[in-house]
Amino acid sequence: MLNDQAMSVVFDGSPLKAMQSHSHTAQTALSTQELSQEIKSFISGVDTVQGRKLSVREHARCAVRLLRSVPACRGAVLEHLRGVYDEHVSAFLHNLETEGNASSGVSSNLEDIIQEVHGVLSEFIRLNPRAWAPLVSTWAVDLLGQLSSKHAGRRVAPHSSSLNELLQLWMSCAATRSLMEAYSQCLAAMLAWCPDACVDALLDTSVQHSPHFDWVVAHIGSAFPGTIISRVLACGLKDFCSHGAKDQGLLVMGVDKGNRVPKIGSVVGILGHLAAHHSDSIRKELLRMFQESLSPSSPLSPTSSSTSWESSPQLRRAAVPFLLQLAAMSPNLFGAVSAELVELLRPPVLLQLQALLQGLPREELDNMLGLAVHLISQSPSGGARVLRFLADTATPASVIISGPTPSPNEGVREGCDRLLQMLLLHLHKLVFNRSDGAEVNAHHSAPSQPQRVIPFLEELQSHVAQLCAETLRLERKRHLWLHQLLCLLSVYGGPSIATEALCQLLTQARNPEELALAWQLHTTLSSCMAGLIPAAVARCVAQIHTHTLGPRQLRQLLLNLAAAIQSQDEERRGAAGAQSSMAIQVGSAVSGHLHDFGPLLLHGDPAVSHAAVRLLSCSPLPRTSSPAHLLLLSRAAVTYFFLALRRRGEAGKVGRDGGQAGEAVNCSVLLLSRFAAYSPLTLKAVLQQLVEGALHKGNADLFGGQIADMSGAPVLSPSVAPDLGASLLDINCRFGTTVNFSGSVWSVFHAGVIGKGLKVRGATQLPDPSGVIQNIQTLLAVVVQCCSSSGLNGSINSSRSPSDPDEPPPINAEAAKVVAVTLVENVCPDVANGELSWPPEEHARTTVERDIHIRRCFEAHPVLFPLLQVVAAGRPALCYCSAVLRGLLATLLAHWEASREVSSTDSPWHLQASCLLVSCMGEGQLLPPVLANVHEAFPHLTPFEVRLLLLAVWEYVRGNGPMPQKFVFSSEKGLFCRDFSRDGDVARYVAPIHSVLHKNIDRLGHLCWRFQL
Amino acid sequence: MGDIRQSLLPRDVLSAAKELLYHLDIYICNLVQHDPEILLRKYTIYKQTKMGNRFSVCELQLLEIMCSCFQEQSRDTVRQLMFSALFNLQGNQADESRMALLGKLVSMAVAVGRVPILECAANWLQRTHRVYCVRLAQVLVDDYCSMVPGSVPTLQNIHSASPRFCCQFITAVTTLYDLTSEELTPPLELLQMIVSWIQDDPRLVLITFLNTPLSGSQPISSLDVTPLGGLVRWCIKAPLAYRKDKKQALTNGSSESEPEAGLLFSALHLSVLQVFMLLPNILNEKGLYGRLALLQMESVAALTSDLSRLLDQADKHTHTSPADTHVLPQLALDRLAQALQVALASGALLCSREDLRAICSRLPHNNLLQLVLSGPVIPHAAHSPIASHPTLPTHPALPTHPTLPTHPTLPTHTPHTPLASHPSSHPQYSTQPFMTGMPFPFRPTH
Repeated sequence: MLNDQAMSVVFDGSPLKAMQSHSHTAQTALSTQELSQEIKSFISGVDTVQGRKLSVREHARCAVRLLRSVPACRGAVLEHLRGVYDEHVSAFLHNLETEGNASSGVSSNLEDIIQEVHGVLSEFIRLNPRAWAPLVSTWAVDLLGQLSSKHAGRRVAPHSSSLNELLQLWMSCAATRSLMEAYSQCLAAMLAWCPDACVDALLDTSVQHSPHFDWVVAHIGSAFPGTIISRVLACGLKDFCSHGAKDQGLLVMGVDKGNRVPKIGSVVGILGHLAAHHSDSIRKELLRMFQESLSPSSPLSPTSSSTSWESSPQLRRAAVPFLLQLAAMSPNLFGAVSAELVELLRPPVLLQLQALLQGLPREELDNMLGLAVHLISQSPSGGARVLRFLADTATPASVIISGPTPSPNEGVREGCDRLLQMLLLHLHKLVFNRSDGAEVNAHHSAPSQPQRVIPFLEELQSHVAQLCAETLRLERKRHLWLHQLLCLLSVYGGPSIATEALCQLLTQARNPEELALAWQLHTTLSSCMAGLIPAAVARCVAQIHTHTLGPRQLRQLLLNLAAAIQSQDEERRGAAGAQSSMAIQVGSAVSGHLHDFGPLLLHGDPAVSHAAVRLLSCSPLPRTSSPAHLLLLSRAAVTYFFLALRRRGEAGKVGRDGGQAGEAVNCSVLLLSRFAAYSPLTLKAVLQQLVEGALHKGNADLFGGQIADMSGAPVLSPSVAPDLGASLLDINCRFGTTVNFSGSVWSVFHAGVIGKGLKVRGATQLPDPSGVIQNIQTLLAVVVQCCSSSGLNGSINSSRSPSDPDEPPPINAEAAKVVAVTLVENVCPDVANGELSWPPEEHARTTVERDIHIRRCFEAHPVLFPLLQVVAAGRPALCYCSAVLRGLLATLLAHWEASREVSSTDSPWHLQASCLLVSCMGEGQLLPPVLANVHEAFPHLTPFEVRLLLLAVWEYVRGNGPMPQKFVFSSEKGLFCRDFSRDGDVARYVAPIHSVLHKNIDRLGHLCWRFQL
Repeated sequence: MGDIRQSLLPRDVLSAAKELLYHLDIYICNLVQHDPEILLRKYTIYKQTKMGNRFSVCELQLLEIMCSCFQEQSRDTVRQLMFSALFNLQGNQADESRMALLGKLVSMAVAVGRVPILECAANWLQRTHRVYCVRLAQVLVDDYCSMVPGSVPTLQNIHSASPRFCCQFITAVTTLYDLTSEELTPPLELLQMIVSWIQDDPRLVLITFLNTPLSGSQPISSLDVTPLGGLVRWCIKAPLAYRKDKKQALTNGSSESEPEAGLLFSALHLSVLQVFMLLPNILNEKGLYGRLALLQMESVAALTSDLSRLLDQADKHTHTSPADTHVLPQLALDRLAQALQVALASGALLCSREDLRAICSRLPHNNLLQLVLSGPVIPHAAHSPIASHPTLPTHPALPTHPTLPTHPTLPTHTPHTPLASHPSSHPQYSTQPFMTGMPFPFRPTH
């Protein structure tokens, strides 16, 4: 430095005063003479001694010397240095622009000067921060602002929006970097005692050079985040307070950003920059501001640090509006705060808030309310919490419903109520003024125009389920609000959300009132959305498939759907309202998914399956459906039928809930009959499965049957069955050496092993005769209903006008044939000798084995006779049972022949079987009435006489084969009938009857008229 | 005058200022004091506040022009008139810029050693309300003691450049820093400087008093004629005020200045007492002995009440350091007693012991003070210097300089007599170790 001085200053010969020993710097003091020369040089820019012009560099050196020695010059020196800095920045940028061609000329020359100035300034600041920091900070900030905006238009300068590039550029320039460092140093020093002043200056400059200055603020802010944030806030608050709230209105939409309330704009900008890296501290600071503005004034509170706004009541009052304003202007800040703000709003805080707000004038309150509503609707996250909070707080306190929060002051409640209603209104406006994009969007996948996004609703879209649940609680006003919100949300979100909401409501509603909400929602939405219900049902089905619903929900969903469909029937009876169309829609939608609901019949949870049967029984059947689906459904329905019967039995035994089980059976009956009526295929399937099911060993006990083995004999449980010692393996082992027929396989017969007496018959335990009867009745009812439904030969049956409504419709012949065929398949395993015509009676011994099997089946399954009767009613279907009838009759003949009892009543089962067999054959018109009546005489006869009569029957049937061709359809009866006159003379078959009558005329006199030809 | 004004209006400030100063020169040389000239002055100072970007540089140029102008003006009267025409306060809104400009002008004059300006400023300080004087002093202290490191010596030079200004500066500074708060405690550099000035030349303190014809036309609430009152206050309050600072200093870790300050104040106290000792002769010369109170009774009363308040505070706050609790208050009270006694004896303080007792009634006990208050009152009759003051144990030989006003034949005091700069230069007066700075020539006359 001494050298530098020597270059530019010519000493005038006067001795230097080197007496300043305690001077901090090693500078050499100049004489007063020299100083005045220096001042003159500085002012004129001309070396006063040599008379030549000073270079920029020399001039700057001169200025620095003056700065060090003449205090009065500091203003002028700093002002001069502005020019130097500016020149350096220009040179720097020029250098960049020319890619460093004209390098190192001016810029490097000035760079050391800038270093020197920076050194001097930083030394001064270090030695006496109180004096220098305010001065230098103002100067530096102002100069930075000027430089940034002056050179903003340069070609190399990045656009003001790319903050990082800007920062990089300016920090690589020595001049601006030095200024920035100096300012940082000042700020660090000043924060201790007058933070407000320096931040004020920063804000002012920021406003003045708005976008170009941002990099400075960002840099400073990230260097001093903790302090800058609170100061910036405090400054903003003060400014806001002094401007008053009258400008608020303009700023609600963030339109008027800069001019009228200057500082809040830059506050927002600065905090916005800082939010990237210091959002935590910003959030804390904002929340702290909020809390402290509410807490009762305690001037000595430890938290009130150096910011002084807490102590002024006016400022405290303005804090809440200020924060709202901030939030309105910066989504970043709002997002940072909103989540935790709600957590803070506990009842005591609310009371404080209310107390604070009561003091405000009305229009200001309205403004704030509008602002709050705007904010909520724009809030991108936490909306659900806000909503819950609002609803909780606004819900009136009640003795019945205790909300999660204890009821706050009534005023607070009203406030929230109002806020909530305004919010709904606002959302309503937003949603419905949103252009017709929603409509367009619903139909075309690509939106024609960008829609306005409502973040609040966007976020709530993922909370539809909770919303629905809340709505369904039906709490006072709450569900009205929420329901309205759901509507808005659905309209906003389009079909997918609407579907979701409806689906949720359908799943979660537990009673008609709650379900009504779903219809209300649909009514509202149906005007603007098509195909809502099918979509909703499809969605429900998807839920079922994905097993996202628990049994309880599943059941509820099914019941709700059923209720919806049933309401259709009610509507049909009553006035047709809006619901009817909807019910029809639901019905058709469900019918399209019947095959999806079908498997639910077999759901492990009885409640679910019950609900499923309810739904299926009332749902209309689809117009078309694939056979596979139909078969599956019919199988499920039949299986469920037996399940329901069993449950009814169990419920009856335990004595609980018989009604529900009974209702399930009824539903199932209804379902089966409707299903059977649907198509020939289903009819066949249902009947077949019903019969098979009834005979199946799993279900046999329901109908008083026993589990039969291969031979048709009831199986004994192993413990009961004695070990006969007959093992085929043993015998085969011994076979080669000795042939011992006694006790070998060859001595084993159906009745037992030769030499060991008759097989022990299993004790037939019939648990519950009344239950069995009821079950049989139910089964018959189902079968009859199925058989008499109009599905098969619909054209024939429908042509017949029902003359007597009380008379049940006749059994359909085709249906009866199905039953018959199924019966034969199940009862008679052997297809040999399966022809319809009967052989002579003697030939029956060729089929003894089979006949015994058939008889045992009838023994094991009491339900067979009633089924046979059904078949008989459906003439000429009984013909197809010919083999079974023949087998049974053969065994009966054998029994009566072998019987040595006095009276036929001594063999009760055989007597009953004989009677039933004959009556069935009569009903089925296999026998003429004369022969068919013989069973009336059986109980009064001896076994031999019974055999005689049965033989007569056999003979007749052998003579007049049971051929379906012999039946003709009589249109007036709607039935097939057989004209016995075409057959041979009956008389010769009647002779045994008459002889038996004669023999027992004393006892059978009253029956004689039954056997007149 | 109107034509001059018309000619000034279209010009830029600097040439206008040059023109104006030229006209002022002519004007004042003609001793035509007129109203329009004030208008012009306003114009100058007013216009500069509206300057734009290069304001400070322009201002510096203006200052430079003024400096040169005053420097080149050969006639004192004209210079004085010009100065007062420019800078006398008018009570209007231009006063602020006037003050700002004056502060910079004086500061610059100090830096470049423009003695005429300093002389003018000294006059200005005598005439102006103390509030503004204090502001000017503040500007200088800020500039030289805190803003620019290492520039204290420049300020120190004003002692040799313009003693009158220096004296006025001391008065203003002592008025400014009344030790009531941290901000109003003089910086150490300033203290060192003042102590060294007064040690070098005790008479410096009295220069204004000596050079001013006491016509009784002192402007109301201007600065005191001497800085004695302020200096006494500094010395007495310092032990307590600096201790208060010490606590804060401890936290800052820079407590080494404290003992240094204590020593400086001790030295200052001694110097002040010595100055008091000079007074009787001077007063007698001027014929004012017993008629002019250089130490005002009211300021003493204010001082004692301040002191009692400080002592109360000290009692409350300092439980931690029992050593300080006694030593420092007692030191303050000792100094008070000494100052009162010497001031009374030298005729600088005109009051009765009764008055003093009333004033000091609230102070805690102090042996020396007790003696001073109860001792015999010998304001006028104490002609025998040594024996008549047994009540001063610390200064047993302190003479009272019984220079009676009735003795006009006393040898005239030469104000510029070089004073002994160091105690050790008078080893021969070993019996009076504390009286080293005494102007002995006066003693044998009695």
